[in-house]
Amino acid sequence: MQNSNSLKQEFFKKWMMGLQIYTTTNENMTVTERKTAIKLSADIALASSRNCATRWSRAVIARSSVDNRSCFVANGVLGRGLCERVKQISNLKITRSSWSSGKIVKRSRRVWRRRRRRNKCMAAVTIARRLVQKRTKVLRGLVPGGEFMDEISLIEETLDYMSALQAQVDVMRFLATAYNPSSSS
Amino acid sequence: MEIKVGTVGGSSPIGRQSDDTGLESLQFCEEIQGLMTIPAENASSFTALLELPATQALELLHSPDSATAAVVNDDSVHHCIKDVPKPYFSAFNCNLTFPTNSGLIERVTKLSVLAKEHSPETTSSVPLNSSVNLEKVKNEPTTDTDSNPNPLQTLISDPTVENTNQRSAKRKEREKKGRGSTKKSKNESNEDAEKLPYVHVRARRGQATDSHSLAERARREKINARMKLLQELVPGCNKISGTALVLDEIINHVQSLQRQVEFLSMRLAAVNPRVDFNIESILATENEPILESNFPTMVSPLMWPEIPVNGTRQQYQPQWHFDGSVNHQGWARDEHNHHNFSPPENSLLSYDSSANSASLHSNQLKMEL
Repeated sequence: MQNSNSLKQEFFKKWMMGLQIYTTTNENMTVTERKTAIKLSADIALASSRNCATRWSRAVIARSSVDNRSCFVANGVLGRGLCERVKQISNLKITRSSWSSGKIVKRSRRVWRRRRRRNKCMAAVTIARRLVQKRTKVLRGLVPGGEFMDEISLIEETLDYMSALQAQVDVMRFLATAYNPSSSS
Repeated sequence: MEIKVGTVGGSSPIGRQSDDTGLESLQFCEEIQGLMTIPAENASSFTALLELPATQALELLHSPDSATAAVVNDDSVHHCIKDVPKPYFSAFNCNLTFPTNSGLIERVTKLSVLAKEHSPETTSSVPLNSSVNLEKVKNEPTTDTDSNPNPLQTLISDPTVENTNQRSAKRKEREKKGRGSTKKSKNESNEDAEKLPYVHVRARRGQATDSHSLAERARREKINARMKLLQELVPGCNKISGTALVLDEIINHVQSLQRQVEFLSMRLAAVNPRVDFNIESILATENEPILESNFPTMVSPLMWPEIPVNGTRQQYQPQWHFDGSVNHQGWARDEHNHHNFSPPENSLLSYDSSANSASLHSNQLKMEL
């Protein structure tokens, strides 16, 4: 409880910081732009409030580095040195593992699936295993950076990510409720 | 103090075990007698005795022989004592319900579930055991010369009595080594390594015991423990059994949280016309007290996914402009549901699937497969 509270406060602080950075860079935005700005800054703040100790937070920051402006925000929130280091680490990982072997793996999987479809007889155990595998794949897609994890670390990261997301949702909802009356009045 | 506890605790199960396995102890006597008569260099009888693969037994044999090359024949009794722990240990390996270590077993399993870094040790359990065994055999003469001269005397006397005595002596020695391993800093890591793999991955009857399947089993146990934790975290996930369904719930939960973030950011963007958010004013006026007071109470909205909402949609929809703050919760959820209806794949795993509709979803997923 204490832990989640401190996490929320830290996230809130960092989020506000990121939003201020956005504000200084760009004055006039459309609604969608604003929305993406808010979301990106929230994500980066969440990742940085986890102190980049977990893999998903590193993956979030690495993903944000693709966009120029969000990279700027990430630099502002995190501090430049840490951000660069994280990006280096995760970029290295991505370039090494995914770009080179992703296509090959996909192709081989396709072939394998075709072959597997041919012999239809399956035990219940294999069906259950396939169900679990399917869901694990979906979960990999959901948790940032989940493609590169083994199962145990995937579950751990999911735990951490879920608690962090919960904190994020709470803070955002709190802000929405706090902001609403002032805007309507 | 710990040593005392160990010896006392060791003495009581001995009687039990000797009662339980009288037949085994008889066998054991014969083995010891065979050891006494046959010179120790005879390797084939040893391998038969140890019930180990020949290579391991030879490994075991080499070190005591090389160590005690000077002491050959007249110290046959001594030699015998040195060799006893090996068959004893192998029997120990087979015997899964060993009375003295049950407390340790529980403690270590608890520890090892939590600690990740012991996984390499669990994978190589079988060779590790043998190496530890070797170590034990090497260390044996120093301990048994100073600590217990009893087996030397009792060996000459009646073998049946001697057997139990010797067992108890060995047990005491083992426990002294186990408990007092903090004193011997050299032995410490080895003792840990001995206990962990042996305790952590236990093969039940009919299960495979080669190192690969043991490692696989340990990994599965780890995954299951973490799944339990996840299950506790996700609301309404306690009653579900089965990995696939639990994973379903977890996916639902994560997706719902992500969509909530999406939606809330959209809403925040829609609510205020400028990006700057007017945060300074909020922060200046009400942030600090609200931050302190509201965050504990912010936990209560955690519960709102369970509230049925379908009936309230029409009610809240028109109130968008008039009264956002009061009915905010239901409104938010409503809008959120609207938001997600369009793509079919999303609606499959969508947010509004609560715990009781999990089976339905699994069916849908099966269909999709």
